Amino acid sequence: MFETVVYSPLFGIVLSIAAFEAGIWIQKKTRKAICNPLVIAILLCIAVLVLFDIPLEAYNKGGDIINLFLGPATAVLALNIYNQMDVLKKHFWPVLAGCTAGSITSIGSVFLLCKAFGLDDSITKALLPKSCTTPIAVGIAESQGGVVAITMVAVLLTGLIGALAAPLFAKVFHIKSPVAQGLATGACSHALGTTKALEMGEVQGAMSGISIGVCGIITVILSLFL
Amino acid sequence: MRILAQIGIVLFVCLLGEAIAAVLPFPFPASVIGMVLLFLLLACKWLKPRHIQEKSNFLLSNMAFFFIPAGVGLLDYLDVLKANLVPLLVICLVTTPLVFLVTGWTVQAVMKWTARKEDKPDV
Repeated sequence: MFETVVYSPLFGIVLSIAAFEAGIWIQKKTRKAICNPLVIAILLCIAVLVLFDIPLEAYNKGGDIINLFLGPATAVLALNIYNQMDVLKKHFWPVLAGCTAGSITSIGSVFLLCKAFGLDDSITKALLPKSCTTPIAVGIAESQGGVVAITMVAVLLTGLIGALAAPLFAKVFHIKSPVAQGLATGACSHALGTTKALEMGEVQGAMSGISIGVCGIITVILSLFL
Repeated sequence: MRILAQIGIVLFVCLLGEAIAAVLPFPFPASVIGMVLLFLLLACKWLKPRHIQEKSNFLLSNMAFFFIPAGVGLLDYLDVLKANLVPLLVICLVTTPLVFLVTGWTVQAVMKWTARKEDKPDV
């Protein structure tokens, strides 16, 4: 009976939804950036699989079905970018220059550090797009042959650092312009950082959102040259 | 527009993205091609936001959920993670503030420069 249940595709889907709902509930209760629903959901799912000795292969029967939505979920980011066209046009040059500089810095510094640590090629390729939003980072890592699970860890970690420390960074580095604060937050820590940028102010939130899309596209282009 | 038709539009564009990714001579994420195609369709007004609004809202507002299986896949790579944990932490802790710094300073510099140009009209 146990086998039949866990090997049903419904098992992985139901477990994921339950874990995510629990994550959202915990986030609402604590209101802490560190209690990210995705992080909580992943840890809960892993805990259940380990605790009940359920093979990953069983979970993935449902997991693969959820994975099917990754492409469409990334594609509809287009609507977000389209909706922000007016703001994007207004600040065209600062956005383009900032996001280009940020993306080059991210890829360049990650690449150099990976070489310095002597990391495997599959790990380096997984880490390179880590400042991008999850869908784009996973897309890049997958197409380059990086370990996607490691990309997920790096992307979430980077996002959490930004979400926790963005106001501190702005203070320490003397970045006072709200436009610059927003773009910098989005460039270094994607959607997770954007949650903090929205708290910092309306302009910061909007610019951070734009930065996610623009940095994502620039990083995809840059990754072609690696 | 009916939700099933919206799903059809989004999935068709994604399928087109996969087809293009397959013929490109270099590795390029199919999902990003789908995003670019969708953006072009919107920008050229061939597609109106209302044609994909509800489907998009559903996907965007639950975005994080779709990444759970990718994260749970870590279970097969726990030894890889353990072996690379210290470099991974160092890389994230060093590069995140660095990217913030470079982006922020670049934006402020460019804004100052464009503001100065607007003050002094072309001669």
